[in-house]
Order: sequence, then structure tokens, then C-alpha cells
Amino acid sequence: MNPIEDQRATTASLEDSEIAESRGRPAFVERRSRERRASRQLPASVLTPPLPPPAPHMDDYRPIVGQAMLDSLRFLANELKGKTIKMVNSTAVGGGVAEMLNRLVPLLSELEVATHWDVITGGNDFFEVTKAFHNALHGSPYELTKAAQDIFLMYNEQNRERMKFEEELVVIHDPQPLALIRSRAQTASHWVWRCHIDLSNPDPKVWEFLRPFVEQYDAAIFSSQSFARALPIPQYLFYPCIDPLSEKNKELTDAEVQQVCDDFGIDRSRPIVTQVSRFDRLKDPVGVVQAYKLAKKYVDCQLVLAGGGATDDPEGAVVLQEVKDAAGNDPDIIILDLPPWCAFQINAIQRASTMIIQKSLKEGFGLTVTEALWKGKPTIAGAVGGIPNQIIHKLTGVLVHSVEGCAYQIRYLLTHPEFARTIGINGREHVKENFLMTTNVKRWLLLYRILAQAKAQKRKAA
Amino acid sequence: MPEPTHPPLRKPSRPFYFNTSESLLRIGRQKASNLSELLDALHTCPEDSVFQHTFRTLQEHHFIREGFSNDFGHWSLFACNEPALAEQLASVDVREFTAIEGLRRRMLEIIDQFLQSHPRSGARAAYEPFYFCASDLVVLPTRFVADTLKGFLDGLNQVPVHSIHHHFIEARLRLHRMTNDFSQWLEQEKGLTQAADAIERIDIYTNTMEGVRLQIARIIAESMN
Repeated sequence: MNPIEDQRATTASLEDSEIAESRGRPAFVERRSRERRASRQLPASVLTPPLPPPAPHMDDYRPIVGQAMLDSLRFLANELKGKTIKMVNSTAVGGGVAEMLNRLVPLLSELEVATHWDVITGGNDFFEVTKAFHNALHGSPYELTKAAQDIFLMYNEQNRERMKFEEELVVIHDPQPLALIRSRAQTASHWVWRCHIDLSNPDPKVWEFLRPFVEQYDAAIFSSQSFARALPIPQYLFYPCIDPLSEKNKELTDAEVQQVCDDFGIDRSRPIVTQVSRFDRLKDPVGVVQAYKLAKKYVDCQLVLAGGGATDDPEGAVVLQEVKDAAGNDPDIIILDLPPWCAFQINAIQRASTMIIQKSLKEGFGLTVTEALWKGKPTIAGAVGGIPNQIIHKLTGVLVHSVEGCAYQIRYLLTHPEFARTIGINGREHVKENFLMTTNVKRWLLLYRILAQAKAQKRKAA
Repeated sequence: MPEPTHPPLRKPSRPFYFNTSESLLRIGRQKASNLSELLDALHTCPEDSVFQHTFRTLQEHHFIREGFSNDFGHWSLFACNEPALAEQLASVDVREFTAIEGLRRRMLEIIDQFLQSHPRSGARAAYEPFYFCASDLVVLPTRFVADTLKGFLDGLNQVPVHSIHHHFIEARLRLHRMTNDFSQWLEQEKGLTQAADAIERIDIYTNTMEGVRLQIARIIAESMN
């Protein structure tokens, strides 16, 4: 199957000249665009994963965040010089946590706060149980059995015996290694639980099983206020972050953007409305097509739905088919089912877009929104999960609650470019202030300092 | 035409140390799902929560010029759809307060009066809850220290924008006086009373924090001339 689901290849009921006339463009431009879409396979560059670029150094961020930010980071780090941090999670590759740790760990170490990263091990039975826990904590129904509890505890115990906790700050990511806190009594470390998932509506039995472990930590960290639980320990807010130097977010030249658009048959001379997301019902790609169709009655634009998940996920394939059915024969809907390593191409498509949509019905934090805002794009997004932390309605983007609302905002932004530009600028500043990797580094340094101060005060009081 | 006369600039007895502040956001225990709950929670929440949702929110959204002055006003509009209340809350200028308790009382008065005149609004569910948070603050030095006006201007132009917020807005709570660190230093150490007053009059609610920085710099540059 050609992953570029080009609707125009199968239809083209109007002659190029008629289409061109209706759009006020020369016919040859229209013809070339159509031919490009009809004939183009995925370019060879995206068929195999590219080599990962070298990890950036702290000084590489100076042009983006400024010298003053680096000064603050170095001052904070200097006070912690020689201290050590251990990060523990359940996977070294794949997933947002591993991606974030891959950047965070070297940057902290470069600041001379030596940071070690350990990954817990476990059999398939362990990861089946923890995946079920993960879903249950997100609210899916689950029957917690004694066997599942035993498997969870047994693998945590095995890892606890294998691992050493000699660092001053131990950070446990997500529920899988949660029970490592049993080692706390043998250490003088600060222990922190970094929860990356939404605990606002957990399965009560699973939460009651895990809660006693959580309560033994010095602090818990959540990605949004709304994801937290009532706990007797301090809870901090660490927003997830993007790396402005990654393939997904680095600056691109206009030629690079143009090349990707040419490869995928995206016409940059007309407005481009884009949603980047897996083909997943919770991202409501069909709703995006419906909103585009409503808006298209009033304004000219193309819709790009760029994502993945349709080849390795049976449900993704079903959703992709639903999207194609909803798109029908519209030649201006470009559906791209991309492999997971197409970060550069996604970056280029986002940068070529006139606006970005993330019309999720349910969402974690929504890093695709962060990416769009960072590129200064006016962004329309569903008011769910962590998205309202990023989009302050009408100031850093617009929030919508329905297909109709989304359609209206597409029309409004396309016909009010000055407003669109303003929220785009504000959105980028919001990301710069709150959601960049450097801010994340700063939060860890601040947390260490604050925990150490609290412990010193407690000792003094005692 | 006679040359305008300026008072001779004093040599300062103490230099101006540009500091900045960074904060970590702590999630509070209280939340409000309607305006009555907001009123109750605002009565009992710790001072650092009031500080977070008023003073700090200005820093966190320093790049926005319009429509965002404190979290209570913003929530009243976008989650409760109460524009009249939102306008009143948003019009509270944090710089009129040198202590958090006074600011808390003012916010409570506004919400209380609104709910008395709009009793049905109190229990109406908000679109999304208001989560009370607080900040753990850490003050950091910058590389800039000034003992001349030129040095002061250089520092002002290069410090992080958080430093402007720290010295210009949060200073009131530290000084317990209706002034700011910049005006105080210019007046006490340089005798520039007019410039100090002009800086104090800058409207922070119709400017971004970068805009505030530019206005302060312009006032100082004029004093130097």
C-alpha cells in the first residue's frame, strides 16, 4: 500500500484549468501539484531510520534561551556540584520518558551533577501486569488479582536487590519501579516519584494497592495539576518538555521545508491546516476531517493528517480507513501514514502549515501541541488533559469543544491573520518559558535544592 | 535658551545587585469547582497560593500584554463565564499591596460582593476546576552589579526578564513599601527622584515584561542625558 493516501490520485473530476481558475493560479501549477501527489511514493529518505544526531551540549541552547538562562542553570548546578542523581524507569528506548531522559541525563551530567540512569528488568508477565496497571490508572476497568500484585512485587524486589542507591537524589519514573522505595530505609537519599500519567480517575483497587508506596516518597511530581491525587507528601508540577534542538523541533531552512512538501505533494501556495497524531479515535481525526469540510464551505485550504500507528496497530488501521472514508474524494485532503522515525519530515510539515489542529477527545499532556506552539503556529486544540496548560484560550491558541467550534476557528484564523500571528508569537513564548528541555533541567536543579533545604530544616528543628 | 539643570549624580554608597528568582510550582491541596468553592478556598489557602495566582502569574505570562492579570480573574471568565466578576478581579493591581493578606482580603471582598448580588452563580459548576498551587522560590544572583547609571542600564538590558519581575513587582512584598528596587536605588543612591517616580508609574497590565524593561531603560537613558 502506498502510505501516501492521495485522494487526488483517484479522483480529479475537475480539469486542472477549472481548479486553477477557481484558485486564481496558473493551470500548470495545479497540474504539477496533482502529478506530484499522484506519482510520489514515500521518498527513500524516510524508508529507513536515520542515524541519531549527536546529543547537544548546554552551550548549544544559548541562541535559543539566552545567556541569562544558562547562567541561572550553572549557578544552581554549581551549588550541587559533586552531588549525584539516579533516574530509574522501565525502558531505555521508545516512549516519551526514555526520549526525555536521553537528553536530560547528559545535560545534568555536563553541569557536573552526575546523573545515572538505570532501567529495571522484568519478564513478559511483569510488563503485562504493569501495562494493565497503566491502563487501570488511566481509568480503564481492571480486576486486580493477588497474582498480579505478587508479580509486581516480585520483580520490584529482584530489581531492588540488584540495584544500588548511592546517589543523593533517587527519581523513580512511573508506576513500574514504584516499590523500589522499599530500599529507602538503607539510604540517606531524597526519593521522588515522577508520575508521567494522568491519575485523576484511576481504578480504585489499583490505586489503593500503589498508594502506600507513593506515600513513602519525599515528593511526587505530576505533569498537570489535574493529574494529581490527594497525598500527604508535597506534589510538584513539572510540565513535560520538548527539545528545541531535536530533529522534531530544530530550525529548518525554507529549502528543507519545501523539499518535504514537494515529496508529499503539499502545496505551500495555499493555506495548510495540519493535525499530527497517531490514527487513534481519541485524537478524533474523523472530527478534524468534518471540521475541515465545514470550514471549506467558506475558506480555501488543504488538510494534512500526518501520523502513524496504522501499520503496527490493528485498531490504527481501522481508524485510518474511517478517516479515508470520511475524506471521500476530496483532493485537498492529504493523509500520511508515516514511520515513527520521520521526525524531520513532521517538523517540516508543521513549519509549512498555516495552522495546527490537535482536536483530541482525551489527551495526556499533548506534546504535539507544544511542538506546534514552538514553531509559532496558531493552534486549535481540544480542551482536554494537559492542553489547557499550554493553550490559554485566545492568548496562546484557541481551545475548542466540538467539530463545529473547530471549523469556526479554522475559518476565523484563516481570515484574521493578524490575530493568528499574535497567538502564534505568544504560544512560542509560552513554550520558551515553560516547556523546553532547559526549563526541565532547571526544575530538577531547583527540586534538589528545595528538598535538601527542607531536610536540613527538619534536622535543625529536630 | 538656558540649559536644563540636573542635580549632580551622587556616587552610590552601595551598588545595585541584579538578582533574579526562579520557582518550582507546588500543587496545593485545595481546588474549586464553582465560585462558592473558590471563595471558601481563598479564605483558607496559604499565602503562597495567593502569591502564586496573582504576583507569579504575571511572571509566568510576562509575554502577554492583554487579558491576563491574575488566575482568579482568568478562571472567572473562561471557566465560569462571569465577565463582570472577571473584570473586577482582573482590575486589582498587585502593586497596590505590600502584603499578601491585604491582597487576599481584596479578592475575597470582590467575590463575596459578586455572589451576594448573583446568588445563583455561586453553585454553578465551572467548566474546569481551579487548582490552587504555590511556588517554592529561589533567589539567584546574576552577573550584573551596577554602581553607575551606565552600568545600571547595561545590567537592566541584559538580565533575564524574571529579574525585572523580581525587582520591579515582587519587591513590594520584601520592602513592605509602595515602591520597587529600581526606584528605591535610583532615588536613594542617585538622587533621581523624578526618574524613580516615573518608573513607579509604569503600567504593568498594558505591557509585557519586556515592554516594562524598555520603558525603564528609556526613563534612565533620559535621566543620563
